[in-house]
Amino acid sequence: MSQPVDKIGNWLALPVVAALTALCLAPLLILFVYSFFQVDFVTILHEPTFANYAKVAGSETYRGLIARAFGSALLVVGITAIIGYPVAWFIAKRVVAAKSTFLTLLLVPLYSGDLVRIFAWRVLLGAEGAVNRSLMWLGVTDTPFGGLLFSPLATHIALTYNYLPFMVIGLWLAFESLDDAWTEAAADLGAPAVDRFRRVTLPLTLPGLIAGGLMVFVMVAGDYLTPQLLGGASGITIISAVNDLFGTAFDWPLGSAIAWTMLAILMLCFGVGALAIRRSSFISEGT
Amino acid sequence: MTALHNSTQTKESDRQGRPLLEAKGLFKSYGKVEAVSGVDFSLAENSYVTLLGPSGCGKTSILRMIGGFEDVTSGALVLDNVRMDHIPAAKRPINTVFQNYALFPHLSVAENVAFGLSYQNVPKSEISKRALDALKTVRMDALADRRPRQLSGGQQQRVALARAIVNAPRLLLLDEPLSALDRRMRKDMQIELKELQRRLGMTFLHVTHDQEEAFALSDWIIVMHDGRIEQQGRPEEIYACPSTAYVADFIGGATCVFGEVVEREGDKVVIDTPIGRHLVPGVSTLSTGAPAALCLRPEQLTLAKAGIAAHVKSCVFRGSDWIIECEAADQVMQVVVGVNPPAQGALVHVHFDPDRAWVAAASRGDL
Repeated sequence: MSQPVDKIGNWLALPVVAALTALCLAPLLILFVYSFFQVDFVTILHEPTFANYAKVAGSETYRGLIARAFGSALLVVGITAIIGYPVAWFIAKRVVAAKSTFLTLLLVPLYSGDLVRIFAWRVLLGAEGAVNRSLMWLGVTDTPFGGLLFSPLATHIALTYNYLPFMVIGLWLAFESLDDAWTEAAADLGAPAVDRFRRVTLPLTLPGLIAGGLMVFVMVAGDYLTPQLLGGASGITIISAVNDLFGTAFDWPLGSAIAWTMLAILMLCFGVGALAIRRSSFISEGT
Repeated sequence: MTALHNSTQTKESDRQGRPLLEAKGLFKSYGKVEAVSGVDFSLAENSYVTLLGPSGCGKTSILRMIGGFEDVTSGALVLDNVRMDHIPAAKRPINTVFQNYALFPHLSVAENVAFGLSYQNVPKSEISKRALDALKTVRMDALADRRPRQLSGGQQQRVALARAIVNAPRLLLLDEPLSALDRRMRKDMQIELKELQRRLGMTFLHVTHDQEEAFALSDWIIVMHDGRIEQQGRPEEIYACPSTAYVADFIGGATCVFGEVVEREGDKVVIDTPIGRHLVPGVSTLSTGAPAALCLRPEQLTLAKAGIAAHVKSCVFRGSDWIIECEAADQVMQVVVGVNPPAQGALVHVHFDPDRAWVAAASRGDL
C-alpha cells in the first residue's frame, strides 16, 4: 500500500536533491579540484599537486589566521553559552504567556541585516559614541577611550551579539524538554545548586549546547565582515585572505586549498558534535 | 462502634507521643488559588501514612512543601522538633520517590542510586557498595549497569525507591508512585512497599487517589478534600465510621441519602430521610436538627421480600456478582446481588440492617 506513495515521495524530492547537488555540492567539488592546481602568472596549470596544501601548512601567516578564526569562534561559543544558559532557562521555565513574544524579540535583530547591526556598534563604541559619552558623563574618565572601537574587543562584542540568538534557540529547545523533576530529584538527593547544574542540567541540555554551539562556531569562523568593519588593524581574517586570493592576487588554487582546509576542520567539528549529540541523547541507547 | 472509637482514640494519643513530622496550620496558595487551606496533622515514627484524595485536593502540594519544592504560604512544618519550612530541599533529611520516578537518564542505575551518597558523609570507597546493597533490597542489583530507559516501569519504580532509601532519610515521600504501573504490578508493588517500610522502620508518606491502595498500605490515612482534611484515622476506623458523607462516598462508594437528625439515642441517631426514618449508629458530634447523611454501602444492602420499595434502573455484571442500581424516592442506591439479578424496571424491596449502616455529617457543599 505505502510503496507507491513512497515512490511518489522520492520523485517529488528529486528536484530538491538535484538543485542541492548542482548548487551546493558541485561548486565545492570544483573548488576541491582547483585546490590541486597551480597558477603561473595569469594562467592556471591543470597539473595536480599538493603544493598549495603544503604552502598553507608551511605558512605561519595562514596557520595563524586559521588558528585565530577558530580561536575566535571558540571564544564566542563560550561567551554565548554563558549568556545563553540563563536566558534560555528563563524563556523555557519562567515565561508562560509571553513565550513567543520573548522568542520574537530575541530574533528581531537578525532581520535587520549584518551591516546595520555592525554600524550600530560603531555608533555605540566610537570615540564620540554612547558608551564613551556615558562614561564621561558619569565622571569615570575625562577623555574618551579610543581603544573601544576598531579592536578585537569590538569585534567579539559584535560577534557575540550577532550570534547569541542561535545559541539561545538551541539551549531553549533543550530546556523545553528538560523535566523539572530531574533538578528537583537532584535537590532532593542533597545536591547544591552548582552540582545540580553540573551533574544534571548540563549533561541533559548538552545536545542543545552542542547544536547551538556548532551553529555559532561555523558562523563566527566564516564571518569576515564584522572583523573587517570593527576590528581595525586586527580585522584581517582567513576569510578575507581567501577573498583576496580569489580577487586581486588571482591565486584560485591557493584560495581553494585554504577554503578546503577550513571546510575540512569544520566538517571534523560537525562530525565530533554529531557523535556527541548521539551519545548524549539517550534514546538511541535503548535495547 | 464506641469501642472502636475509644480504641482509636487511645492509639491516637500513643501516636502523638513522638511525632516525627508536624504540620501546623499549613496554607498554600498559587496566586489567588488556594490549594491547601489550613491543614494540621502529625506523622508518627515508623508508620505508613497515606494522603488520600481526588486530584486537585491539595495532597501533592502538601507533599511538595514537605519535600521543599514549594514554599509554605503560611503555617509551619516541624521535623524532629525543628522547624524546617525554611530549610532548602537539599538539606532536609527527606527523600522523595517522584511520580514519574525522575531517574537521571544519563546515568546508569548504580550511578543514580549513588547520586545522593556523594552528599552524605560516606567514604568514596563505600559508595558503590552501599548503592549495590540498596539495589539488592529492591532486587535490582542484577541490572545495576543498565540505563533507566532500558528498564520497565516496575523496574524503574524499584530503582527510584533504592535511590531514595539509600540515603536513610528520616521520612520518605512517595508521590503517586504506583499510578504509572498496570493493575497487576500495582498489587505486587503495594505488598513490597509495605514490607519494605516494616523492614526499614522508616516513616513513609504516600500520596494517592486510590482508596484501595490506601487501605492496603496504611497505618494512618488522611483524607483530603478541597485543600482541607476531611478525616484522618486508622483505615478500619475511616471505613467503618466516616465522619462526613464525602468520606463515605469516596472511601466505600456509599450511597448517601441526605436528611436531618431528629433525635439522639446514645451512640445512635434517628435520621429522617426521603427513604424513611431510621435508628442508626452515627458520628458522635451530630446533634438534633443537624443535616446528616445516611450512608449505605452496596454490600450492606440486600434485596428482600419487604423493605424500601424501589425500581431497578440497571444491572452491571462484575464477574463474581452483580451491581444493581435501583431508585426509590429519587435516591439511587447500589445493591450487590450474588445470582439472578432482577429485570430492568422491576419493582424490588431493598433491605438493610440499621446497625451496620452509618450516619455521617453532611459535607461542605452538600447543603
